[in-house]
Amino acid sequence: MPTDDMLQAAMTTVLHPVPASSGSEDRRIAAACAAGDAQIFEDIYRRFGDRMKSIAWNHLGNVSDAEDAVQETFLKIHRSASTYTGEASFSTWIFRILVNTCYDVLRKRKRRIDEAPIEDMVETAERTAPSVDEAKRMTLRKLLNELPEQRRSVFTLFEIEGLSHAEIGEILGITEGNSKWILFATKKDLQTKWKK
Amino acid sequence: MTITCNQIDDLLFDGSPLAMETAARHAAECDACAQTLAAWNELSDTAQSMRTTWDNDTLWPRIERAIRAEKKRSPSRWLRHAAAAVLIIVGLGAPLFYMLRVQTREAAFDRTIIRVSALDEVERAEHDYTRAIGKLEKLTEPKLEDAESPLMISYKEKLMLLDDAIAECEANIDQNRQNAHLRKQLLAMYSEKQQTLQDVLREDSDVSNP
Repeated sequence: MPTDDMLQAAMTTVLHPVPASSGSEDRRIAAACAAGDAQIFEDIYRRFGDRMKSIAWNHLGNVSDAEDAVQETFLKIHRSASTYTGEASFSTWIFRILVNTCYDVLRKRKRRIDEAPIEDMVETAERTAPSVDEAKRMTLRKLLNELPEQRRSVFTLFEIEGLSHAEIGEILGITEGNSKWILFATKKDLQTKWKK
Repeated sequence: MTITCNQIDDLLFDGSPLAMETAARHAAECDACAQTLAAWNELSDTAQSMRTTWDNDTLWPRIERAIRAEKKRSPSRWLRHAAAAVLIIVGLGAPLFYMLRVQTREAAFDRTIIRVSALDEVERAEHDYTRAIGKLEKLTEPKLEDAESPLMISYKEKLMLLDDAIAECEANIDQNRQNAHLRKQLLAMYSEKQQTLQDVLREDSDVSNP
């Protein structure tokens, strides 16, 4: 399990853009996944694992849940790879599954919080004073937590993960234009709160 | 390109490098828009620094184990396909089988009805023959008992043979009422007997009225 220091050090890691693959190659990968080919799953993990962890972490806010979500995503890929049609790229398809898995976790968590006594919800105070950058990240993370799922995903995938609006549209099942509009509206909203 | 403060949002919405460059040029001369743009960029910069990953050597083996366990739990693709095929066959076959069974039953019922109806007709014809023959026998009986001419004796023998054949045929028909061949044979014999009895009567008339 990574420590806070490891995580902090990794914060600045630059993730390379997802390399594009051809439709036939994507279908071949999907077929291998459906057949349960262990090697292909490992290749996918090596290729997309870092970005998957980042997306999950930025949706769920902790390493443990993010890793669980990544694992669950791989199981879902195994179960449903035979239904992959090749309409979207395989990486986009994986990210769509991941984002939906994160939504499931968030919903379960919300139910747990709704049912939990109020004292349990009080967050523990920071033990050490955060740096200016970390303070900004914490503020933004807090603001993102308050956003509706879709807005949060658009912001995370575009601003944090650097995906294009076309890719985000495919992942979230919305149009490219809508993704652009949601990002603008979300940033305007965040900007207002950010200034406060 | 010169823009006004009202257009800054359009540029931020566009978000392209050219639009952001234009916005920056305007912000250099406008304090309000400079603040807006700074906050906008600060959000993006902070967001970019939130890209994260970490090493966890146990994560991939954990995922691999989970996939392997699920693969073991779930039936093989071949089995799933076979199960799906069986379901489809049963799903489509059952109604088809039922329809065919109903149709076969209906056809069998129709055939039975036709057969029963045809049998009734045959039996009615037989009944008509026996009634007519009975009347003719009453009329010819005295003549045949006193038969002296070779022709009348021949008629008498023929009728006796016909009666034996009819009795045998009727005995066979009692064992299988629906045997069309026997029925036809019986009707032919009745017809022949009726014809013979009529010939006897005619012969008698001819003898009486030379």
